[in-house]
Amino acid sequence: MASPINKKTLKHLAELARVELLGKEEERIFKDLQKILDHFEELKELDTENVSPMTGGTSLSNIFRGDEKRGTTNLGAGAHAFPKEKKGFLEIPPVFESDE
Amino acid sequence: MHPLRNLTIKSFHEGLMTKKFSALEATQAFFEHIKESDKSIGAYLSLNEENAIKESEKVDLALAKGENLGLLAGVPLAIKDNILIKNLPATAGSRSLEGYLASYDAGVIKKLKSEKAIFLGKANLDEFAMGSSTENSGFHLTRNPHDRERVPGGSSGGSVAAVASDQAVAALGSDTGGSVRQPAGFCGVVGLKATYGSVSRSGLIAMASSLDQIGPITKTVGDAAVLFKAIAGGDQMDSTNAGFNYGDELLSLDLQKIRNLRVGVPDEYFADGLEEEVKVALQRTIEDLKGLKITFKKISLPHTKYALSVYYVIMPAEVSSNLARFDGIRYSRIKGSDVGVSNVKDIYFKHRGDGFGAETKRRVILGTFVLSSGYYDAYYEKAQRVRSLIKRDFDEAFKQVDVILTPVSPTRAFKIGEKVSDPLSMYLSDILTIPANLAGLPAISIPVRTGEPYSRDNLPIGFQLIGRHFREADILGLGQMYEKMNEGNIKTKPG
Repeated sequence: MASPINKKTLKHLAELARVELLGKEEERIFKDLQKILDHFEELKELDTENVSPMTGGTSLSNIFRGDEKRGTTNLGAGAHAFPKEKKGFLEIPPVFESDE
Repeated sequence: MHPLRNLTIKSFHEGLMTKKFSALEATQAFFEHIKESDKSIGAYLSLNEENAIKESEKVDLALAKGENLGLLAGVPLAIKDNILIKNLPATAGSRSLEGYLASYDAGVIKKLKSEKAIFLGKANLDEFAMGSSTENSGFHLTRNPHDRERVPGGSSGGSVAAVASDQAVAALGSDTGGSVRQPAGFCGVVGLKATYGSVSRSGLIAMASSLDQIGPITKTVGDAAVLFKAIAGGDQMDSTNAGFNYGDELLSLDLQKIRNLRVGVPDEYFADGLEEEVKVALQRTIEDLKGLKITFKKISLPHTKYALSVYYVIMPAEVSSNLARFDGIRYSRIKGSDVGVSNVKDIYFKHRGDGFGAETKRRVILGTFVLSSGYYDAYYEKAQRVRSLIKRDFDEAFKQVDVILTPVSPTRAFKIGEKVSDPLSMYLSDILTIPANLAGLPAISIPVRTGEPYSRDNLPIGFQLIGRHFREADILGLGQMYEKMNEGNIKTKPG
């Protein structure tokens, strides 16, 4: 089967995944992914139409604690290690750039 | 020579109680040994000497006051560096987290602190626990104490090497596809991955959340039971924690009950590609257990061969989501002006581009792909369906047997550099441990003790026992029975 990934999709995926590929990484990862995706082809042998997907580590459901105010939070933890900090918040460059 | 060689949790406790040594003396001796021995092993990423000394003095004080101390009081442990200890580094083996200090204690660390255990330092691992040889650490290699030219396995290679070279009495690792059991097998120690949901994952830097479990690495199965009992149980900070109460069964062996366990041996785990030495050692283990009148039965787990593909779809998908939080802002000291960028998006790119290794990038991109629109059904959802089939195989098998016995990995420890350039062949070394993670089952890796398991090349071999959900007592019990039979053969290698 033709590989579902070409160099253009790889670039797009790296962009979506916010990963900068350095030097020979792009070439190497491209080759590896083709090999790995080839291996996945074996899954197609199986008829799974009537099998429901397993979506977690067990079939148990999540356990939630009461939605109550707790004594302390972690607010501000780690802020001291950041270059710029204001009252426990981190100061960062703008997230949205203006169109002008 | 290291005066505290071959200490187990149990013999440490005896030594402490009979005043053979104080907790402080023990801790100091371990640091002395580490400073000498770790130069050639590379088990630790950072040491916690000052705190450990202080805490061990507190243990001695408590002892002098006649306080009741548990089995773990004063016991020097190594902790995998993806588990948070407040105010200590937690790099997860990634350059991207260099300089980060943990802001809270992991659930398991809280429990161990209340037991007065001592943390010697943070142990090396493959970056974000992704790898089977610890060669993907962003910092340095860890060497197998049995043969310095070989890998210790991974990803918990540092934790395992520390225990195998007497640089810790026991350790914690984490196991997503075999990362506790496979290195334990390579280094001749015991490693337990418990039932999914039995041990809190709070404060474990997440890799693949439907698979990750923290587990004990010890010199004996008895010790694994002690350490597991201490870290298991409820934690409201982990919504997948079942809050299961294990009771006393784990620590008190019921020999009659254990003798009645039926053990299944699945054909599929003894297929092509199994090294001859591994085959022979496993056969010997089965004979040993038969000598104890344990009943064996051949079983089949027909979907085993698909486990690797299923795992390498589901795990990277979860990795790509979990690692999205490493955006260059929240856990790091990156300054836009340092890297020549001035907006958040470029910091994100730059931070991950420079800070992540090749394997991490490969998995993040692969995960992004299998989750992407148009491919989700063909890969991710398909894999989830096959995961159900794999779990169903085990459900069927456990109607006939109580425990399943298999090898831990197809080969013994391989050479450093041997597989690093071929990810697929590296992935294959976890092929026998992955199914237990996919099905959420408890599984333990135990060194083959009889005959000459370290025959050619002097390398250890492990066998794996897989149990029913929350039936750690079965695999720990059978393992301890095996161990009792081979008491004289329990030893670690010199570090």
